[in-house]
Amino acid sequence: MDKQRRDEIQAKRAKLAELKRQRELRAKDTGRGSGSPSDLIAPTPGRDNRKDIESLISSLVGDSRPVSTGASSPVPKGSRPTSVLSGGELSAEASDLASQSQAPGQAAAAPSQPQVLTTVALQTVYECPPSPVKEVVTYSTAAQTTEDWAPPTSRGRAFSELPEEDDLPGVTSTPSKRQSRRERDREEELRQKIRDEIEEELLEARERLQGGPLSGGAVNTSNFPARALTDEELNAVTASDEFFDFVERSTKVIERALDQEYDVLTDYTLQIQSLEDDEEQTGNTAGKGRRRVKEVVQFYDERWSKKRMVSSIDFSPKFPELLLASYTKNPSAPHDPDGIVQVWNSHLHDRPEFLFHAQSDILTAKFSPFHPNLIIGGTYSGQVLLWDTRAKSAPVQKTPLTGTGHSHPVYSVDIVGTQNANNIISVSTDGQLCVWSVDMLSQPQEQLTLTNPHPSKFDDVAPTTMAFPAADPTYFLVGSEEGPIYPCHRYDRAGAKAGIDTRVAYKGHAAPVMSVAFHPPRGPVDLGDLVLSSSLDWSVKLWKVRAPAATSTVVESAGTSIHPLLDLVREDVVYDAAWSPVRPGVFALVDGAGSLEIWDISVETEIPIAKISPTARKEGRQLLSKSLNKVVWEASEGKRLATGGIDSTVSVFEVGPDLGGKDGVRAEEWTSVKKLVARLEAAGAGAAAGATA
Amino acid sequence: MADKTIPSNGTDPMDEALHRLSRKPGVKAWIMLDRSTGAVLKSNGQISSIRPAKSANSDTALPTPTGGSFSTDVTANTDNESQAAQELGSMVWGFMSTAGSLVQEIDTEDELKLLRLRTKKQELVIVPEPKYILVVVHDTPPA
Repeated sequence: MDKQRRDEIQAKRAKLAELKRQRELRAKDTGRGSGSPSDLIAPTPGRDNRKDIESLISSLVGDSRPVSTGASSPVPKGSRPTSVLSGGELSAEASDLASQSQAPGQAAAAPSQPQVLTTVALQTVYECPPSPVKEVVTYSTAAQTTEDWAPPTSRGRAFSELPEEDDLPGVTSTPSKRQSRRERDREEELRQKIRDEIEEELLEARERLQGGPLSGGAVNTSNFPARALTDEELNAVTASDEFFDFVERSTKVIERALDQEYDVLTDYTLQIQSLEDDEEQTGNTAGKGRRRVKEVVQFYDERWSKKRMVSSIDFSPKFPELLLASYTKNPSAPHDPDGIVQVWNSHLHDRPEFLFHAQSDILTAKFSPFHPNLIIGGTYSGQVLLWDTRAKSAPVQKTPLTGTGHSHPVYSVDIVGTQNANNIISVSTDGQLCVWSVDMLSQPQEQLTLTNPHPSKFDDVAPTTMAFPAADPTYFLVGSEEGPIYPCHRYDRAGAKAGIDTRVAYKGHAAPVMSVAFHPPRGPVDLGDLVLSSSLDWSVKLWKVRAPAATSTVVESAGTSIHPLLDLVREDVVYDAAWSPVRPGVFALVDGAGSLEIWDISVETEIPIAKISPTARKEGRQLLSKSLNKVVWEASEGKRLATGGIDSTVSVFEVGPDLGGKDGVRAEEWTSVKKLVARLEAAGAGAAAGATA
Repeated sequence: MADKTIPSNGTDPMDEALHRLSRKPGVKAWIMLDRSTGAVLKSNGQISSIRPAKSANSDTALPTPTGGSFSTDVTANTDNESQAAQELGSMVWGFMSTAGSLVQEIDTEDELKLLRLRTKKQELVIVPEPKYILVVVHDTPPA
């Protein structure tokens, strides 16, 4: 036993001596290699010491334990690798690789002297047993890493690096993640280099065959491995999906870059004249000074917008530069999807940012206010669809066509609730109201049938539009095809059953109601009970709606009809009217004649402040092509609004500081609207009293 | 592959995108390169007008397979155009590598995303993607 131990210690000493010698050798080598020996050697002693200690431990503690070479290393078991052996192995590997790459002559000379030395150092690492503690092997042998990164100057060099490369994964028994990735990258890079070189050589060979004694140096010396691809290669590359994706992405970036109108290099000291010109009204504008309305941009895509009507528009609540437009079908393209939604970017004029489609005309579409990637839509076939901007153009979810759900066109959808609990609400023209969970559209969570409180000819109500007040997700108004606007409850409450509230109806319109809009409630005065409605009877009406709870306290005969506060008769059918999100008295309307009108009831209740028509497309249809269907304000700033209609063009307008924008809002505006409402109410009450008297 | 499911109207969406790019006001030319090798994949526009090919003689010209390797828009003077595209491509590729190594030097985790090279006469917009590179040369608004 004693003898054995002594022998071991003897061997140990010999080994230590050998290690020391190796270390010196390496130090000398690295010193020669990089010229800064001090910082390169510094890390190595630590490792050697550690190794010594570990091997000492192993020799003292576990003599039955096999030497670590067998444990997890690629080196053959039992044979303690000497430098000669490993060198032989490596050169054999190298020649394998070299023969692959058609350069056998260079293989023999490949592993140069310093390289062998470094691999020896690597081999000795194997000898330490895998330490019980997880150690991070840091690559302190700078001789390997620093030099590897330099681009290969000669072919032999690249090959001589390879054997090391093959060893590395085994050596780093516990590599940090980053390290292994870097190694993989490096490996990949090396492979690529070899591939390039093979290609180059093939090329040279081909050229030699073709007979042209080419000055090969021209190609080889250049770092740019330029060579034309063959037809086949070109086709293979350009037909790949990857290349298609690349084209899609990169052209989008380029177009955005080129559409950026502002020139960052503008020198204003040189541009005084043209700046003054800019003050003059250029382009399509209306109104004067601070009440100006100006057309900013129009969106039209020859391929997808053509011959489709814009059925709805919505600005993204998260990205104010994005807006979506939904379209009906193109009658002359039966193979295209009937309904499409295009998401336009105000920085990308010629093409939509996203394109989504559906099998039926899309009648309404909306960004989810709670999730910037989701878009919901309602179709003529009665489906409610959900698209995701991260997914493909087909809807990610859709409601069933048969069974539960809608079987009539859905003209109105909305998402109500809060960030964490919200539902899609849809209403179809047969009076069906469905509540859906955003996560599951296969079945409605709630279903409600709206029926006419006073059946005359039909029991059904045909809702064309629906509006929720900001405060209450259980109460809403529906505008009907018959003309009245009905208040509805989603659930039973005191004095009223779920469905249409039978006690009150807002009667005034004589034709289908096209839009109902609650006043947006941000301001010092609560005007949330003001409702604006537009109708095909050539009018826009302003209503003051009763609070849903108040109706139960006032004893009223069933079927009280309430009259509008204000009746604005226009010159054509009015398709849409929308409150400004920031100005209390400002709203916009669009009509069948193709005009966009901006009103401010705190200033004027008889005529619009500004009236403008979008620029007609040159090749557009002449007859009946001007009608505008929808108008939408951008909600966060309230400066821009978008319109669209039969013309299939979406036009974006910007209003002056007196009509939009948050900065110039004065408290007086709110109070003056409040006063106006009070005055109108008094006048209405007076008129009613006069009528009864 | 966002649009693969949509029946196309006879026009390839990729061609459409490229044509739209060519039609954009101010765009003089574009070249698509392979990122790893620098080989010209597609090109369009009057590249020789931006920078005429230096070596017009065929001795030093890189081997170009006969016919069809370039986008069909280039019909006249194909040899010269392709030569110019090759050369411009190689210059851009070199520039890209330098810029890429600069980015790597600053932060190894970082990545080059877009290069806009503005000159007095024109602007080069370079979009480096993992496998390919798109280079667009366009006129800048007169400053």
